[in-house]
Amino acid sequence: MDLAFTSEEQHFREDIRAWVLANLPADISHKVHHALRLSKDDMQRWARILGQKGWLGHGWPKAFGGPGWNAVQKHLFEEECALAGAPRVVPFGPVMVAPVIMAFGNAEQQQRFLPGIASGEVWWSQGYSEPGSGSDLASLRCKAERQGKHYIVNGQKTWTTLGQYGDWIFCLVRTSSEGKPQTGISFLLIDMKSPGVTVRPIVLLDGEAEVNEVWFENVEVPAENLIGEENKGWTYAKHLLSHERTNIADVNRAKRELERLKRIAKAEGVYDDPRFRDEIAKLEVDVVALEMLVLRVLSAEKTGKNSLDIAGLLKIRGSELQQRYTELMMLAAGPFSLPFMAEAMDAGWQGDQVHGGLGGLGGFPGGALHCAPLASTYFNMRKTTIYGGSNEVQRNIVAQTVLG
Amino acid sequence: MDFDFSDDQTQLREAVNKWVGKGYDFERRRSIVRAGGFSREAYAELAELGLCGLYIPEAHGGMGMGPVEGMVAMEELGRGLVLEPLAHALIAGAVINAWAPEAVKKAWLPPIAAGQALVVLAHQERAARYRLDLCATLATEHKEGTWLISGSKSVVPAGDLADAFVVPAMANGRQALFLVERTAPGVSTRGYVTQDGSRAAELQLSKAEATLISMDGLAALEHSVDIGLAAACAEAVGVMDATLAITVDYMNQRKQFGVAISSFQALRHRVADIKMQLELARSMSYYASLKLQERAPERRAAMARAKYQVGQSMRFVGQQAVQLHGGIGVTDEYIVSHCFKKLTQLEITFGDSIHHLGEVSAQMQDTAGVFA
Repeated sequence: MDLAFTSEEQHFREDIRAWVLANLPADISHKVHHALRLSKDDMQRWARILGQKGWLGHGWPKAFGGPGWNAVQKHLFEEECALAGAPRVVPFGPVMVAPVIMAFGNAEQQQRFLPGIASGEVWWSQGYSEPGSGSDLASLRCKAERQGKHYIVNGQKTWTTLGQYGDWIFCLVRTSSEGKPQTGISFLLIDMKSPGVTVRPIVLLDGEAEVNEVWFENVEVPAENLIGEENKGWTYAKHLLSHERTNIADVNRAKRELERLKRIAKAEGVYDDPRFRDEIAKLEVDVVALEMLVLRVLSAEKTGKNSLDIAGLLKIRGSELQQRYTELMMLAAGPFSLPFMAEAMDAGWQGDQVHGGLGGLGGFPGGALHCAPLASTYFNMRKTTIYGGSNEVQRNIVAQTVLG
Repeated sequence: MDFDFSDDQTQLREAVNKWVGKGYDFERRRSIVRAGGFSREAYAELAELGLCGLYIPEAHGGMGMGPVEGMVAMEELGRGLVLEPLAHALIAGAVINAWAPEAVKKAWLPPIAAGQALVVLAHQERAARYRLDLCATLATEHKEGTWLISGSKSVVPAGDLADAFVVPAMANGRQALFLVERTAPGVSTRGYVTQDGSRAAELQLSKAEATLISMDGLAALEHSVDIGLAAACAEAVGVMDATLAITVDYMNQRKQFGVAISSFQALRHRVADIKMQLELARSMSYYASLKLQERAPERRAAMARAKYQVGQSMRFVGQQAVQLHGGIGVTDEYIVSHCFKKLTQLEITFGDSIHHLGEVSAQMQDTAGVFA
C-alpha cells in the first residue's frame, strides 16, 4: 500500500502538465476558471489541439491510434487538464461511441469514423433518451425499419447534449417489438445532415440551450451504418457504460472548484465566518474521501482487479459534490448571486455602456463580476444527479451488489 | 499509488480474522462484558498473535511493522467487536519507542510486546474535553530521573487492570509525558464498564512516582492520539463491515407482507447509502494510516479529516442498521445493538465529528485534495 504515485507516474504527470501549459489557449482556460460561457469554437479548438497530439482519444488503445495509457495515466492526464482549466472533452465521440465502434464495428466502419473522432473534426451527439424513455431506457420507441439497403428512421430523441452542433448522432433505435424490450434495440449511426432530421434546442433553467430535441421523419440511413448485429444494440450500449467509470466522478474538477470556492468565499468575506467555513471544511473532507475512492478504483483497475462494488458509488458521490460546491459558491455570493445578466457570463464583457460600463453603474451589481455565473452554474448542475442514470437508479444498482 | 495488501499483510489479516471467528465469538464477548469488560486471557491471545508488539522493533521483542499492518489488525478486531484495547498497546509501543530514553524502552517494550504489561494512554481530563494542550495534572521533579505526579485522569481504558499508564502532566510549565505504574504508591483507580461493554477507570494520582518519557509532551501526546485515531478509524471500518453484513443477512431473511424486506426500494436505497458511507470511511481509514508517518502538521490534518468522515459514517451506519432491523435492533440479545453502541463509542473516542470538523476548518489551506 502506498499513497504516492511512482516516480514514472510523477514524470508522466510533469510531462502532461508541461504540454498542457504550453498548448491550452489562455483565453479558454480563463473562461473555464471563471465559469464563463464556452463557445462551440472554444470546445472544438481544444479538441483539435488534443487531436493533433493524438490525445483526444486519450483512453484509446494503441491499435486504434490512441496512447495506450493505463487507468492511472488516464487519470493523471484528466487531472492535469482539469487543474489547468481545460474544458471537459465533449465525450460523445471519443469517449462514448468510439469504444463501441472499436469493439463491435467492422473494419470499414472503424476506418470511416474513427479518424474524424480522433482529430476532433466531426462532432458527435448521443441519441438515447426519448420523451417516454428516461430511466427505463429499454422502453424506447424511435423506430428503424429495414427497407432494402436502408433503414427508415421515425421517432424522437431528447436531452441530446450540444446536439445543435452535431454532425453525427449515435442512436439506440427499435428494430423489433418481439421478446423483451432490450432484445429489439439496435445501435445506428446517423448523419445529422440527412433529410428529415430536425434539431430543436431546449432552453434550460439557467437560460442556456445545452440540450436538444431531435426528430427523425422518414430519415433514410444506409444499412452499413448499423453497428454490429441488428437487435444487439442494448449489449453494445452497456459496454459503453462500462467505460470510463472513474472519470464520471469528476473529482479532478471538484478539486479545482473547491479551490475556487475558497477564493470566492474570501472575496465575499465569508471564509472567516465559522458557520460558512465549516460548510467548506465538510466539502474539503468530502473531496478527499471521493479522491481516495477514485484512487482505490484506479489501483484495482491497474492490477486488473474487480472493483465493481465501489465503482457504482462514484457517480452518486461525484454528482452530489458537484452540486454542493456550486451551491456553496452561490451562497457565498449571497445577494450578488441574484442578478441574472446572461451577457455578464461572456468573457470580456465591458458592462452596459449607456450606464457607464464596468466602472460605472453599467457593471455587474456591486462590482461583483465574478458572481455573475454562480447561480446559473448552481441551477445547471442539478442535471448531474439526473443524467447518466439518475442517482436513484444508481442506488438500485449499488443495492443489487450488496443485497443481491 | 497502490492499495493492494502485501502477502504478509493478507496473512496477518487472515490470522486475526481466524482468531476473531473462532476465539472471540459473540458468547465469549458477552461473558467478558458480564465479567467486567476486559479479559486478560483474551489480551494474552492478542499478544500471542504478535499484535501487542506490532509497532515495536524486533530488537525490543516486537514485530517491527507499520501503520498498514496496524490498520489490518484493527479492522479485523473491529469485525469481532473485540473489547480489549489493542489500540493502546499500539500507542504505548510506538510512543515509548519514538520518545522515551533507552532505559525506558528496554524496560517496557519487551513486556508490552509479550502482552505481559498492559500499558494504556491516560490523558483524558474533565476540563480538557478533546483538547490535547489543556492539562491540569502536575509533575514535580523528585530526585534524579524520578518525578511525582498529582492529578486525575478519566475514562482510561482497562484502567484498573492495566500495569502502567502513559500520562501527560505539566512539568515546569510545560506539558511532558510520563510513565506511571499502577502499583506505585499514590495511584488509585476505580473501574467501571463503558457503553460498549468494555472496561475503563478513573485514575487518581497523588504524588505518584513517575518516569519521564519526554519533555516534549504535547508533541508526544499528539503522536499518541494520532496513532489512536488511525486505529479507531480502522476498527470502525471493521465494525461497519460486520454491521452491514449482519443487516444484509437479516433483510434477506426477514419477511413482511409475504416477501423479504430486502425487496423494498426504500430499504434498498438505505442499504446503498450505508454502503456509500462504509466505503467513504474505508477510503479515509486508508488515508489516515498512510499519512500516519508524515510530519506532524500534515499528519494531524489528515487524522482530523479521516475521523470526521469516519465519525459521520459510523453514526449513519449504526443508526440505520438498528432502524433496518426494526424491533429486534433495539434488543440487548441481538448483536446489532452492540455494533451500534461500539460505533457510537468509537465516534466519541479521541474526538467526535464536531470536534474534528473544527480541526479541519481551522487547518484549512487554499489547496484541495489528497495530495494537498
